[in-house]
Amino acid sequence: MEKLTTLTEAVASIPSGSHVALPGFPITRCAMAFAREAIRQGIKGLTLSQCVGAMDGDMLVGAGAVERLIYGGGSLDRFGRLNCVNRGIEDGSLQAEEYSSLSVAFRYLAGSLGLPFMPIRSLQGSDLLRRIQEHTGSDVANITDPFTGENWLVLKPLLPDVSVLVVHTADAEGNAWIMGPRWDNVEQAKASKRTIIIAEHIVSTETIRQQAERTVIPGLLVSHVVELPFAAHPTSVYREYDYDAKEIEKYVKATSTPESFKAYLDEYVYGVKDHWEYLEKVGGMKHLNTLKADPILGY
Amino acid sequence: MDFNYTPSELMAAAGAREIKDREVVAVGLGLPVVASFLAKQTHAPHMTMLFELGVIDSEPVHAGVGLADPRVWYRAKVLSSFVDILGSILHKGRVDVGFLGGLETDQYGNLNTTLVGDPRGEFRHMVGSGGANDIASSAKRNILIMRHDARKLKKTISFVTSPGYVTGGDSRTKAGLSGGPSRVITDKAIFGFHPETKQMMVISIHPGNTIEDVVGTMGFAPVVPQQVPYTEPPEKEQLRLIREVIDPRKMYMG
Repeated sequence: MEKLTTLTEAVASIPSGSHVALPGFPITRCAMAFAREAIRQGIKGLTLSQCVGAMDGDMLVGAGAVERLIYGGGSLDRFGRLNCVNRGIEDGSLQAEEYSSLSVAFRYLAGSLGLPFMPIRSLQGSDLLRRIQEHTGSDVANITDPFTGENWLVLKPLLPDVSVLVVHTADAEGNAWIMGPRWDNVEQAKASKRTIIIAEHIVSTETIRQQAERTVIPGLLVSHVVELPFAAHPTSVYREYDYDAKEIEKYVKATSTPESFKAYLDEYVYGVKDHWEYLEKVGGMKHLNTLKADPILGY
Repeated sequence: MDFNYTPSELMAAAGAREIKDREVVAVGLGLPVVASFLAKQTHAPHMTMLFELGVIDSEPVHAGVGLADPRVWYRAKVLSSFVDILGSILHKGRVDVGFLGGLETDQYGNLNTTLVGDPRGEFRHMVGSGGANDIASSAKRNILIMRHDARKLKKTISFVTSPGYVTGGDSRTKAGLSGGPSRVITDKAIFGFHPETKQMMVISIHPGNTIEDVVGTMGFAPVVPQQVPYTEPPEKEQLRLIREVIDPRKMYMG
């Protein structure tokens, strides 16, 4: 089956109510073009998961696409808080299950290895654990180590329906390279039923074969491959482009109230036909070129 | 006595002194970053610095807006993942020191980064854990950096995101955890913890403060030993490194 497709087709493959693992880390390699397209297509009732909540998740929550969020806390770094996520938690409209970075990563890891559960030292003695026990009951448990007799907290695996990744380079089969730190992305893809790859560059499989040690996502996990430059804008992609401070500040300001965020969505999401119109809207090539990363610095 | 330094600079210098050469240190953003780079560039050149998302021993030349800023990853020796850093290094037991900041802490060094207000009523949700709970649970010891304020050093905190000595005594061990906070560094004093009760205990007070200044601006009564020395002020070279090399644009020191 041909995997190389458009963002529209890839997003359309996700039914409302799916569990989607998102790739962003506060303001870097966020699936922003994906989030904007999912909002335009009117996808609802999603369960989102990510180790650290990021701008992609916040936008989907703010647009009303999300019912449930499984995450380890998050922010937009110095730019601000996850206003939409926080508001959803404060007014009770978002079902948030809050862990730590490692406990979400271990839930993906268990899923990626096909294990029934994963023991962890984190969370014990904290209100995070008390809250998780109250809210979900069944996602954490205690077990006796059969070898030592010690008591361990164990976590249920996360098995997302689809993992969405923003990567640097991939081929048409979805064999993908991620430059720089990968946070939870590899475990997410391996724990999920399938993965959508959104790549800054599509190259030939021969190119991949030349440096196959860079391949962190094997194509066999991938259902759709989309070539989409600046797919993380206004967040950064290491060695490709820097974050767009002005546009992130605009987002933070807009998310301070539901009304101002609605106006933002009307302008930057519903008001544009697709990713290409969005890129024109924020300044086109002339502006985007100023964000291009220095090859030595990587930003 | 030379008062020609800010409280933040003294906190960074005091934090740096807590790190020994060859130790492995897990670092959150803000003042802990300055303290760790300061240690590395002075007495601890062989320390290893970890950032949770998968970054080891970076050497930034520009200050970043947070861990998600590639400026903070520049010249790293390793770029990997959460499972690598928080799993096979931290959870495995290889991290000597965790360096954490927070919204509130109580007398047992429990840390809140999740919410302010009443978790069952009106509250404001903030950042949450990230790797903080993991570091607090698995590092051999933790250093907390806090502003000295009765609203931050509280009898009861709104939410325990990252456990310290839980309810004191042996309650941390009973919760299945070893380690625990070793120091709390504020802009007025440095605290340790009483060996048995695990209550916060004054170790030293910063020059220019009295013990009343320290204790009178806390929401609980710390253990105060009979003799409390002054905190050693930052050295000239430490100040120069902070101001000229580590944080010239005052991105971390505020």
